[in-house]
Amino acid sequence: MSKIEPANPLEMLAYNISLQIENGQIVYVGTGLPMVGAILAAKTHAPKITMVFESGGQDPLEGDMPWSVGCPFTFRKSPMVQEMAPSFGQCALGYVDIAFQGGAQIDMYGNVNTSVIGSYDNLKSILPGSGGGNDIGSLTEKSVLVGLQTPDRFPERVDFITTPGYLDGGDSREKAGLIGGPVAVVTQCGVFDFEPVSKRMRIKGLNPGMTVEIAQACTGFELLVPEGEVPIIAAPSDEILETLRNVVDPRRVFTKMPGS
Amino acid sequence: MGYQYVTEEQMQRLVDFKGAREYHLKKKRDKVDKRMSLSEAIAEYVQDGDIFAETGFSYVRAPLQAYFEMIRQKKKNLVGIGSPMSNCSYLMALGLMKAIHLSYIGVEMRGNDKNFARVIKSKQAEIASIWSHGSMALGFKAAQLGAPFIASKQLLGSDMLKQNPYVKVIDSPVGKDKDPVCLIPALFPDVCVIHVQKADCYGNAIIDGPAINDIALAAACRRVILTAERIVPEMAIRENTSASIPFWYVDAVVDMPYGALPGCCPGYYYWAREWWEWLVRCATPKQESVEDFFNYWVYDTKDQYDFIEKLGGIRFMDHARRLMEAAEANIDDSAVSFAYQEVIPKRD
Repeated sequence: MSKIEPANPLEMLAYNISLQIENGQIVYVGTGLPMVGAILAAKTHAPKITMVFESGGQDPLEGDMPWSVGCPFTFRKSPMVQEMAPSFGQCALGYVDIAFQGGAQIDMYGNVNTSVIGSYDNLKSILPGSGGGNDIGSLTEKSVLVGLQTPDRFPERVDFITTPGYLDGGDSREKAGLIGGPVAVVTQCGVFDFEPVSKRMRIKGLNPGMTVEIAQACTGFELLVPEGEVPIIAAPSDEILETLRNVVDPRRVFTKMPGS
Repeated sequence: MGYQYVTEEQMQRLVDFKGAREYHLKKKRDKVDKRMSLSEAIAEYVQDGDIFAETGFSYVRAPLQAYFEMIRQKKKNLVGIGSPMSNCSYLMALGLMKAIHLSYIGVEMRGNDKNFARVIKSKQAEIASIWSHGSMALGFKAAQLGAPFIASKQLLGSDMLKQNPYVKVIDSPVGKDKDPVCLIPALFPDVCVIHVQKADCYGNAIIDGPAINDIALAAACRRVILTAERIVPEMAIRENTSASIPFWYVDAVVDMPYGALPGCCPGYYYWAREWWEWLVRCATPKQESVEDFFNYWVYDTKDQYDFIEKLGGIRFMDHARRLMEAAEANIDDSAVSFAYQEVIPKRD
């Protein structure tokens, strides 16, 4: 019997993000939960990862949680910092293994929208724009998408492709001239991958308590379901949760549920 | 794409390789003391109708006090560009800027900037073209390299291409396989202000920490203003061959300690974090509240020292300095806490 409070949905997201990272990788990190997940990975199963940031910071000494990707904690005693163009260039060059991206909309082929809901001629709402999202998602070998899964946020087709996933599926990403691509989607429901031929989003594993029906109800398109029993992701151990709560995000800036 | 505000000439000027070269050829070469006051520099070198480039990382080593002086001087019809360009939001809301070449406007996870949505929806300002950070960075870098364009793998397949009249997709002429690439033209804004840690009076400048796009922008822009935390003797720069901007790119040098406040400046001070949360979460939802906010912070202050008094004076400044020193591991972590009370507005 576990002695501590079980993981809340944000903690589960951070944990699932951390599991996407393998020891020894070079990881392109943004702010928010991906940063929490990357630091958790570094504190648990992947102590030898190296973090790089789009502001140019790389391989910083360990410190407090950065307030921004431009925070001095992203270049704390870094051996060097990069200018912006070569910082993204490293992704194209094959020196970055994995990157994370959030989005207001993610569709069945892993295309991401951080630009506009509606269209620029008929605006419902306007979002900040690509930032480095398009660059990271177009160039990095493996990208992991992170989002809150609802039918609106996971539509069949995003309103605007800011960051291409597999475009129209099949080999359309390759034909467009893009390299790398999304390998996973992490949400409050669990972890998804892309079916190798159609490139459609498929359930890879569900969080404890989740079912295929609930995941489908949270989605605006038909999810592919793997053959046989759908794997359930094991909840993080007490030790991992304590590391997350006491070491990684002790002030609960990113892992506290709103209103709690 | 038809435009309401940005002119065809302004659209072409951004990629006018020959025009930028002609402009640079006519710039004064003299190695003279270029120091002047901030108000003189902004009055002389930032002109109405300019393509104005943001520098730094929006709130990291960004020349925010210079932007505030532009607000005081009521500049008009600016076209904004930058990677990122979050300050263009209030420059649009306050009527200085009528069009932007968009890469990113926001303060990361502090919530959506409501100014941006409002000015675009109400057609108070317009989006002239859309970019990613990296593709725009390559446009500035191409300019610095003296290359008319750079071929890249960014932007391919994205809908940004439909909203960007500058970038062309072609099959790469290199190699045997058919391989699409984006041609990103060299970008030449009219003017930028760069906040640097150290400069000499001629304009040789040192940037500590991330340079972002500023080395490229100093080369690309027709006019360059430096604001500097410290004016140092030329020999202090020569000793370590440490300049990243040469004096002949620079038109004006402003002795401007605290010039990046309320942003952070590596080596000097950490953010006024709450200021940004007030701006994005409390001020941007309504035009009146943005105006009130900038009345308080800009029109009611004449310089950075008045601004610091409003932030909390010497106590604020000393804390900001200690936070930066700790973040850079120059004082012990235990000497300071990064905990603070976030500004979260109450909902009705």
